[in-house]
Amino acid sequence: MEKEGQQTTVKEQISYETTLFAEPILHYHGFTITNSLLTSTSAVIILVIIAVILRLKLKEVPGKLQNIFEVIIEGALGLCDQVTNNRKISVKVFPIAISVFFFILVNNWLGLVPIGGLGLLEKTENGLSFIPFLRGGTADINTTFALAIMAVISANIFGILSIGIWKTFNKYVNLKALGEIFTKIKKDKTVILVAPITFFVGLIEIIGEFAKVASLSFRLFGNVFAGEVLLASMASLVAYVIPIPFMFLEILVGVIQALVFSMLLVVYFTISSTDHDHEEHNEHNTHDEHEKINKESIIISKV
Amino acid sequence: MESIVSTFHIDWKIIIAQAVNFSIVFAVLYYYALKPLSKLMKEREDKISKGISDAKTNAEVLDKSVKEYENTLAKARAEANVLFQKGTKEAEKKKTEMLESAKSEAEAVIINAKKILEAEKIKIIEEAKKEIVSLAMIATEKILKAKIDANFDEKTAKELNNL
Repeated sequence: MEKEGQQTTVKEQISYETTLFAEPILHYHGFTITNSLLTSTSAVIILVIIAVILRLKLKEVPGKLQNIFEVIIEGALGLCDQVTNNRKISVKVFPIAISVFFFILVNNWLGLVPIGGLGLLEKTENGLSFIPFLRGGTADINTTFALAIMAVISANIFGILSIGIWKTFNKYVNLKALGEIFTKIKKDKTVILVAPITFFVGLIEIIGEFAKVASLSFRLFGNVFAGEVLLASMASLVAYVIPIPFMFLEILVGVIQALVFSMLLVVYFTISSTDHDHEEHNEHNTHDEHEKINKESIIISKV
Repeated sequence: MESIVSTFHIDWKIIIAQAVNFSIVFAVLYYYALKPLSKLMKEREDKISKGISDAKTNAEVLDKSVKEYENTLAKARAEANVLFQKGTKEAEKKKTEMLESAKSEAEAVIINAKKILEAEKIKIIEEAKKEIVSLAMIATEKILKAKIDANFDEKTAKELNNL
């Protein structure tokens, strides 16, 4: 009876709470290996194995795996086209976008694998706490932060490669707009008001880049973490059957979040590769052409 | 900022590790899957589009050759018809010519034959006349002899029967 009483007190002391951060499971030469890092490394291994198998089984007449990948690639390229409206940009951005998609997807799904039930018991200030071996890689802000930083930096590098360093620089520090105060003041006096505003908008763009990192990382982290909390809550309420629909929901959320992240990445790449001056010039030209056509039609109607 | 870092346990080492993880995924996926697969798909697409364009060209060539064949056939038929008409006309012409020449030849042959016949007739008549004359002379001679000969009537009758 005493032994049973001891066991129940031990069970009561174990905490199964899902923490906001990834729990450390190993310390190696000052480097902490967290459960989410372990999951994302597993995701890397899975993706590498799939890629190698795909490479080895690559044939002109596709097999099952190749067929699935071909369908995914064609669909993804079509989606990229819808965002970029330019096949050349799509082809360039597509490899990064689809890699991000697969990386996030596998990480999201690995977080749902029941092996998460395996883990360590660690003594903390509040007693024993359970640390699962697998925690969704994207349920850790460090992973999503890394992905978001890489996305924003590579989008800017892509912008520099596409439209040049001077135009990319002018997006943020619009020296060109300031220079227009001196060159266009005689023609258009409103430039003295417009140019500083344009310059200021450029500076806001810099803050916008940081906002992109924050929004990308916190959106993904928030959604995946919320999913894990939801599943844990449901499992703690009713252990059987009830969590199953939520499991399917989370599988779907995993796909959607991976898709949202990669589509936003494509959008950022497209924006950074677009020359706004060229667009404005085109718009101006179209406006002039419209005016010309209007004038011509008026003359014709008068005749 | 510090509160965010401590709340979420943001660790630059883990961020770098995750960035390295993603870089590995990107590199492996790009070099082992996406690049060769895209290349293969592009080649297949090119092959298919080439096949389609070839099929189109072939269909056009076939159409063209069928039309050419039909045109040539129609032309040949028309030419053959013209030749046939021409041949028929010529044959008709030759036939009439031959008939006419045969007719004229036959007429000439008939005329000639008639002439020969006439000549023969005249000749026969002349000869008959001569023979009759000679016979008459012989008969006369014989009659005259019979006057001399007692058996004149009987012999004369027999000889006349033998003629």
